[in-house]
Formats: sequence, structure tokens, C-alpha cells
Amino acid sequence: MDIDTGSCGRELGIKDEVIKKACSISIRAHQAPAEKPFLVDKIRGSPSQVVIAFSGAWTSDAWSTRDGTAKAFGETEVNLNSFPSLRSIGNDITAKVNEASMNQFLQIMEKSALRSEMDKATRDSKPIIFAGHSSGGPIAIYATIWLLEEYKRLKKTLTHGPFCLTFGSPLTTDRIFCHAVRREEWSDRFVHFVMIHDIVPRILLAPLSSTKEFLEQSLPYLISPSAHHKADSIDKSKLTALFDNVMRNASCVASHAACILMGSTNMLLDTMTKFVQLSPYRPCGQYVFCTGTGRLVVVKNPDAVFQLLFYSLQLVSESESQQKAVASLPAHLAYEDGLDKNLDMRNAIHLENLCELPLSSDNTMDIATKTIVDTLNDLNLSARARLCLRAAGESEKQKEDNQKKIERKMGMIRNALDDLEGYRTMCETRGMGYFDAFKVQKHEDDFKANVKRLELAGIWDEIIEMLKRDELPDKYEAEKSWVKLGTEFRQLVEPLDVANYYRHLKNEDTGPYMTKGRPRRYKYTQRWREHAEQLPRGSCGESCFWADVEELNLAVTSNQPRNEQMALNVANKLKEWHAKGEVKKDAFLKETALVTWWKTLPDNHGAKLCIKDLIES
Amino acid sequence: MDAEASPFETSEMLGTFLASTPLPKEAWRVCSTANAMGCGAFVVEQVGGVGYVAFSGIQQLPVPDWDPNRSMLVPLDAASHGPFALLKCHYDGEEPVMVHAGLLHLFLHYHPRPDLQSQIHSLLAETKLIVITGHSIGGSIAFLAALWLLSYLKSIFPPISVLCIGFGSPFLGNKSLSRAILRESWSGSFCNVMSTHDIMPRLSLDHSLVPTPQWQALIRFWYTYMMSPNSINFANLQLTEEDKAWLFYLAVANMERLVHAEEGSGGRSFWPFGNYLFCSEEGAICLDNAVSVNKMMHLMLRIGSPNCITEEHLKYGRYVERLPHQSLKRSFMEGDLSESSYEASLSMALNSMGASRQLSIAPIAKDCLKMTRRMGRSPNLKAANLSIKLSKIAPYNLEIQWYKACCDDSNEQRGYYDSFKHRGASKREFKINMNRIMLEAFWDGVVRMMDRNELPHDLHKSSKWVTASQVYMLLVEPLDIAEYYRSGMHHKKGHYISNGRARRYEIFDQLWIERVCRKKLGNRRTRYAGSTQDSCFWARVEEAKEWLDKIKRDSKPANRAPLWDRLIEFETYAMKKVEGLEVSTDVVAKNSSFSLWLEGWRASKSQIYPLKDIN
Repeated sequence: MDIDTGSCGRELGIKDEVIKKACSISIRAHQAPAEKPFLVDKIRGSPSQVVIAFSGAWTSDAWSTRDGTAKAFGETEVNLNSFPSLRSIGNDITAKVNEASMNQFLQIMEKSALRSEMDKATRDSKPIIFAGHSSGGPIAIYATIWLLEEYKRLKKTLTHGPFCLTFGSPLTTDRIFCHAVRREEWSDRFVHFVMIHDIVPRILLAPLSSTKEFLEQSLPYLISPSAHHKADSIDKSKLTALFDNVMRNASCVASHAACILMGSTNMLLDTMTKFVQLSPYRPCGQYVFCTGTGRLVVVKNPDAVFQLLFYSLQLVSESESQQKAVASLPAHLAYEDGLDKNLDMRNAIHLENLCELPLSSDNTMDIATKTIVDTLNDLNLSARARLCLRAAGESEKQKEDNQKKIERKMGMIRNALDDLEGYRTMCETRGMGYFDAFKVQKHEDDFKANVKRLELAGIWDEIIEMLKRDELPDKYEAEKSWVKLGTEFRQLVEPLDVANYYRHLKNEDTGPYMTKGRPRRYKYTQRWREHAEQLPRGSCGESCFWADVEELNLAVTSNQPRNEQMALNVANKLKEWHAKGEVKKDAFLKETALVTWWKTLPDNHGAKLCIKDLIES
Repeated sequence: MDAEASPFETSEMLGTFLASTPLPKEAWRVCSTANAMGCGAFVVEQVGGVGYVAFSGIQQLPVPDWDPNRSMLVPLDAASHGPFALLKCHYDGEEPVMVHAGLLHLFLHYHPRPDLQSQIHSLLAETKLIVITGHSIGGSIAFLAALWLLSYLKSIFPPISVLCIGFGSPFLGNKSLSRAILRESWSGSFCNVMSTHDIMPRLSLDHSLVPTPQWQALIRFWYTYMMSPNSINFANLQLTEEDKAWLFYLAVANMERLVHAEEGSGGRSFWPFGNYLFCSEEGAICLDNAVSVNKMMHLMLRIGSPNCITEEHLKYGRYVERLPHQSLKRSFMEGDLSESSYEASLSMALNSMGASRQLSIAPIAKDCLKMTRRMGRSPNLKAANLSIKLSKIAPYNLEIQWYKACCDDSNEQRGYYDSFKHRGASKREFKINMNRIMLEAFWDGVVRMMDRNELPHDLHKSSKWVTASQVYMLLVEPLDIAEYYRSGMHHKKGHYISNGRARRYEIFDQLWIERVCRKKLGNRRTRYAGSTQDSCFWARVEEAKEWLDKIKRDSKPANRAPLWDRLIEFETYAMKKVEGLEVSTDVVAKNSSFSLWLEGWRASKSQIYPLKDIN
């Protein structure tokens, strides 16, 4: 366990002064007039930094639904054109965010001087700190992601890249959002401060319909110091009801997540999730929990943060409900003072090694464990809560173990690929493309190659299965070695799968290979490469053009009209892939399916001319 | 310790999750509306996107004409042709699926009611989520209604989810019912919410109980309360302390019997199924392992007393109010917690049962929960491992494919079905037969794991497994059929389709139909299919061969007529397959038994009914 009794900032890679400044600007941002949605300030130093703080809004047109079709938690998919990284690659699920806050951000981007402020700072190589308190938090997150995507698109190093600091921000991003940010290794650039008694970070765990009134009518007046509303002006019984409602929902999602972390296999869990609406929002980035005792606790594991959001506010007894409810509002307004004090106490601790957290609160000998025990007590954590944190740790460890396990199979994959490469060369010496040789299945070698193909399919399917069930670390799909191996595997073996498919006429049982029969192991690995090299989606079809050729050939034999678009496409792409060396010359040998089809084309056909050189050489 | 054993005891966490959802409270609300409407009532309601059906807990349980020497259990399918027709009720070597005769009688009384049918059908049209619920006996009727609905939905595959919640409902069926529900992957749809000391869920409502004055007095008291919960009057309860003790010890004796009947003679006694959500003043835990449910029910009685028999059954309204609040506060734990995650979560489960302070039962309760601990790898890892095994057995499949291609191309022209059936002592066919047996072992293993709930429950939706099982079935089942008729099994057991077909094929068939129903292919085939699309095609040919022999031998028109119809029917079916090119080339090979049959049949057709044969 790493105990740093020093500054919180050193844990996070950000100076304490920067945190304080960002916090105070974020709170001042609420005062700014509506036409000025953000404040800009500079922090001198080397390098000097720029703080951009957003105010956001809890106004009704922003948070409520515009039409009746909106979701219970106001979530919507992000636009992949603006945020191409925000999805899971293989599973191909787009991240979701709270629609209202995303719309606010898009408005700001479009209508304000934010773009030019960003450009200016980037030009001067000044790192930008995006910041926001309360409703400003989500906007700061999106702005940071937007700029990070920009860096990625331009392939710039992140030395002077942006950071994001939020204070008491509500959760507005889903599981996939968090997964994508961790995969891109942006996670450490997000730091969220949460006072453990603050209700606002949890508020979107409850359906919007139940919290709308509070969010729209009470909260805006509280966070804007210009209006003279005080926290105690709010009806206590209403506040208690709100608190209970939010916490009940938090308990529901937290225990659901814990069941999964702990590996429950009960089928009732599945059935229940269909009947109960659970908030999709999950934490993303590092969290700093500020305890009532002046301690700052840094937590990186998102599953652990999620459990902490519920358990750190759990009641000790039912009678405590009103007291905690009443305290939950001032806590939301106390970030500036609270952080000032906490940061000065230099009492930060990084909660790591979750699997080994002590469960009981006493009987500790050594001072290191005692600090941990004190921290857990300060966070108000029961034994149950600690078990949930352990489960979060176990789950992370399990994912890493899974990756190690499959990494041990890389050698097996390599060997099988080498064997198939040998098969391909041998076919060439027989004067045949290996696609066609395999499809005919005349020789013993063809049979052996088929066995190798299936052996590889087994290994890759296991990996895909794990990805589908979210059992590998977030970073896995961006690992260079796996993207490379996946591409090699796909380019070499998929033609055999296509051959097998059409050999057994599976197209007549289930439909064309591309739409009905393509195994996920190829779809996933293709997406890996496209993502890694920032290529357009669907552009890396060099491994499956044989399926199109088969369909074109089938159209010829059954006297159907030629699909001109498809024909031209295949020919053009082939030329391109051949030039890049991704499609080898054996595809153009004398009797391949490709050449058979090519011969059926009229001499002046565009597709015919396009690959004429390749075939005739 | 097994390194891959689950590191946590999850029953308590699951219980907390269930208790913190609004569902139990909402279900209870509809239940109490139904209760208030009195005997035999039911309520159908729609709240948000969810449809609720509740059966009143007040029911007239039929008793008088029961034979005291017979069990109250009756086979589910014998009792009715209608509602449960699609639930497979018989498996080799097992008792048939049986349920309580009286409860079934009550359900069968509800089932044909047009008001119930029409309201349920309009729910099905309007919502995708249906909760069926009931208090006490009403819950048992709800379980039967859910079984009926699930078997009905199974035939039409709509994306509708069913959840059945009973509150303190008594036992319904035997072990075979519990197994059948597991096999259909329905156990996630059933949950009996149970107060830890309620005697109702522990009783077998039989002849030794139902007619007794003690029981009648108790149930009258319950019914009065259920109809108007606000005016409870204990003066109405005409039970002496002795009566209470008698009822209590009856429940104890019943549970004792069940716990000891565990293995072996379990077929004729009641058995829990689905999930049990045990609720106590301290919290809730959810168990789905029948043996531990039984043990737990038995154990918790030890710390109960005859005094709790009246109120415990009426506490559900209080529980559903209390439980969501309970999850918001820290539970109070006594004593030192172990530093092992598993032991600590075990202690918490006991605490939520209200059993941790009861030293007399705590250790046994602990053992009982430990039984449910998963010792091997998790289902997901098992499934991943299975992918590897699948690729290891692939060569067997390939060799059979190879064999098929050789037979189909050979000069004998009789296809691989007949080649295999009439094989001599050749090394090649010996190898093929070995492959067939190896594959059988693998797939039976998969089915066993599915039955034991050891694989992820959505495995049957994964296209990889559906396709692999389908490829296997289409390729290898013809060989199984060949082996069946070659070894003369049809003389001993009867024809293959109804008597000899392995359960794995029935499951694979079901998986495939579910998929294909969703996406139909419109195109026409251009060549004979790689494998015949009906894996039982050859078994049908064998039956048709027998009919043809019979019709040739038998000259009585009365005997001939039914055979004639069946032969015509088969011919139409087969020709449609052949013309649609849905059969593989082996079927139409010149010397295949199908071609021979067709020849024989066409020849005798004109002789037998020359006038009728217009073609």
C-alpha cells in the first residue's frame, strides 16, 4: 500500500495550487452571465497553464426531456463523428452520456469562443485544465475528451495535453464511456472531487422524473451565489424524501453491480434487470473523496468508485436519514473551503490493493495498516462496503489474469499461423491459390489445414467470448501486439473460412457469408485494426473479398444481373490491397475463383480493366 | 482450497438487490388488491411498462374425496392436454413431472375463464414484461399460471419476459418439476418470497392437514385478515396453544422428512424450485439451490416457535415496506469478522437471516450455505474453455464430413447413411463410429453442464454454439439413426423418432427453431444442400419402409387405409424436401434406401389403389 502523507496533488500529477484555483474559478463561473458560459484564467509557472471553467446549467430546457420518447435517465448515444473513440471496439457499442449536458456542451462549442481559447492555448503549448463545479462538471469532461480526440487525430503527444478537474459533478457517463477512456489511457487526466456527504454526484442514479423538481427549482439558486438562497431555505421533509429516493436507487444499482463483481450466477439477476430500470451512469477517471475528517482518498478503480458513491453515504441508523439529508446540500456548496483545508492538511492517501483491504476495524498492529483502517472508517465503510471494494479489486485482478492466460497462447497462434503460411506456399507450388485448393479439399494437406483453421478458431473464439463478457482489461483491444497478431490471423485464415462456407453451401442454409456467416473473430479483429490506424469503418476488408467474389460468381452461374457496384468495388479495392501487399499474388493465379469471375466480365468493363495487369502478369 | 472457487458468498448481496428494487412492493400491492376481493379473485393491471397478474390468496382448496392412501401429487401432463402441452414432462429414468392435485385443480378452474384469458392476451399485446404474483395459495396458482405462460410463449418466441413472485406460497411440485424448470432455463423467472418463520411454505397441503379443524381455524383467521388487513382481531382465532403446537410440529415433521428424503426417494415428495427470498427482521438472502433451500427452511424452524405460526404468514406487507429502507443503513454485525472474503460474506448472509445470534443453528446454517459455493471455474470461464474443446473435437467432425463426401462420390451410389448402416468390418467405418461416439460424449457433456446450470444462461443464444450444434446434428444424427436400425433397437424400443432420439438433439432442434423463426431465408437453393436439412429424415424413411412392407402384406382395406394416408403424407413431405433441394445428395443417390423405397412405393401404389392414383 502506497501511503503518501504528502500532497494530494503529487498523487495526481497536478499541483495543489492548481486544484484550488480551478475550484474557485469553477464556483465563480456560476455567477457569470448566461452569454458567458465559461471563465478563463491563467496559472503562472513553467509551463504556465490555462484554466477554463464551465458553469453548466440545471435549467429545465436543458435537463428535462424535449419529447415523450426520452429515456428515464436522460441518456443518449454520443455522436461518433465528434467522439470516434467513445465506443467499445470489438463489441461495437457506442458510449452514452446524459443528453442535456451533452447538448449544452455542443451549444457552447458552436456558439462561444471556446474553440479559439483552446486553439490559443494549444498554440502556446500551454496545458489546459478544464474545470467545473456541479452542472459544470459534465461540460468540462466533454471538452476534455473533445480536445483529447483532437490530439489523437493529429497524432500529437500528450505532454501538454488537457486535464479535467470537477467538483461535485453528477455522474453523466456510462460504462462504455469509462471503458473507452481507460482504453485510450486518458483516465488519469480526469480528477473528480467528491465531498462524501454531497448528494449531487449521486443524483442521476435516480430516474430524472423523481429528481427533476429539485434539480430545476432548488439547486440552481443554491449554486449561484448571486441569489440569496441558503441551503436551509429548502423544505426539510422534501429534502429527506429526495435523499431517500436517491439513496434507494443508489443502493439498487450498487448492489446489482456488486452481485456481478462477486460473480453471482443466479438467473434471477438477469430477469430482474429487465423489470427494473437501473441508471446507466458510471464513474470515469480518478476520484478524490473528501471525508469529513479532512482526509483525501484517491481511488482509480471505477467499480470501487461506484460502490463508494453509495457506501460512503450509507446511514448508520434509520433515524439518521434526515440529518444526512440536510447535511447533503451544504456539502455540495462547500468545495472551495473544504478543499482548501483538506489540501493544506497534506493528508492524502491512495486506496490501492483493494483485494487485501482489512475487513474489520480494529486489532491492527502496524502503522501502515492502521492508516488504511482509519481511512476506511473515515469513509464510513461497513464490512459489507469493504467486501464490495474487495470484489472490485478481485474483478480487476481476474481480468489481468485472463489477459496473461491468453498471452501464453500467443505462441500457439504463431505456430499455427506459420503452418498455414507453409500450406499457402505449397499450394502455390501446386499452381493453385490456397483459397481454391482449400475449397476443393482434395489432398491430405487441405484436411490438415482445415484442422489448423479450427484450432485457431477455438483460441480466438475464447478471446472474443471474454471480450463480449467484459472479462479482459479495458486496454486489451488497443494493445499493439494483439492488433498486429489479429490482423495477421485475419488476413491468412479468413479466406479459408470463406472457402469452407461456400464449399458446404452454407450460403444456401443461412445466407451470404458477409451478412449471415462471418464469424465474430474476424469482425472484431478487423475493427481493432481500423481503430488502431484510424481508418474508416469497414475499410479493412482485405481478408474477406473472397466472399464477394463467391457471391459474384454465384450470380453469374444463376444468371442473375450483375451487381455492378459490387464488381467495381471489389476490383478497385483489390488493386489497392495488392499495392499495399495485403493481398498476395496467389489470388491472381490462373484458376482462382477470382480469375474465373474476371473472365466473365465484358472486355470494356471497368472492373475488368482495373485488375487486368494484375491477372495477366 | 480450490483456487477457482468463488471468492464471495453472493446470496446476501442478491437478496439485498432484490429487496432494494421497487418490484416486491409493487407486486405485493396488486396481491393485496386481489386478496381484498376475496375467494377466487384475480387482478390484472398495467403499471408503467409492466403488466401484473395477481391471484387472490383466498381459495377453496378441494379436499373431501381424496384417497388418504394416495399422494396428492398428480402428473402435470395427464391432468390436462391444454395448458402445459409444450412442457416436456417425462425424461428417461425419472419420475414424471408432478404437481399438487388440489392446486392444479384450482388453476385448471382459472385457466379457461374468458375474462382471465382475454386480459392476459391484451397484456401480452401491450407489454413486454409480465409479473405474475399471489400471496399464499394464490402464489402457487401464480406459479402454475407462469408455467403455462412460459410454455405457451416458448412456441411463439416473442421477446416477453415473465417473472413470478409468490409470497409465502406452499410447495407445488416434485423434484422432476424442479429439474424441468432448470432444463428450460426458467428458474430465473420464479421467486418465492418467504418470511423465515412462516409455516405455510413448509407444508404439504395433504389429507392429514387440510381437513383438520386446527387447519381450518387457522386458515379462516388468515382469510379474514387477508380480506381486511386493517381490522385484525385475535379473538377470531380459535386455536388453543396445543393446536398451535400441533400445527407447528407438523411443519417441522414435514421439513424433517424432506431433508432426509433429499437423495433417493425424492420423486414422490414435494421439492422446491426457482429462487427463495428469505426475509427476516435483519435483511434478506436469496437462494436457488433446492437442497440448501430445504435445509434452510428446516433449520429456521428450530429457532421458531408455535407462536409464530399465525402472524408470520401475514407479514409480507411489512417486509416489502421495510426491506428497501433496510438496505440504506449499515447492518449491525456482532463479533469478529473473518478476514477471508468468503467467510465474511457468509457471516453477513447468516446475519441477514437473523441466524447469526442463534448459536444452536449458526454452524449448520453456515454449512448449508457453503454447499452452494461454486467450487469450479465460473460459468463464463467454463464456456470459454468449452470453445477450446470444441476446436479439439473438430477433426472428428471433419473426418465424418470427409467420409460422407467419399460415400457420396463412390460407385456404389448409396450415400453415407446406407453405407454406414450396412458397413462391414472395415477399419474406416470403425474409425467413423469411434468419432461418432466421441462427439456424442462431448455434446452430452455440454447438455449436462447446461442442465446443471454450469454454463452461462445465454449460451443458447450465442450463434457460435447454435451453429456448431446444428452442424453436428445434421451431420451425425443420420449415423445415429443408422446405428439404431442396424443394431435392431427399433424392435426392442420402437421407432427412433419417438423412442430412440437422444435428448441433446431435441435441445439443439429447439435452439435452432428459435433462431430460424426470427430470420427466414427467402432464396431458393441451387444445388442439393450440404447436409439434409431435417436430421431425422432417415428415421422417417425407416418408418415409411415399414409401412410399405405392411401395406404390401396386408390386404384388408380397413388396415390399409391409415397406412396409405401415412405413406402419401411422407411422400409429399419427402418430395417437397427433394424438390426444394433441401436434402443432401446421399438421399437421392441411386441405391440409397430412400430411392429404393420410392421406387417400391411408386410401383405398389398403382397396384394397390389403381383407381385413386390420378398421377
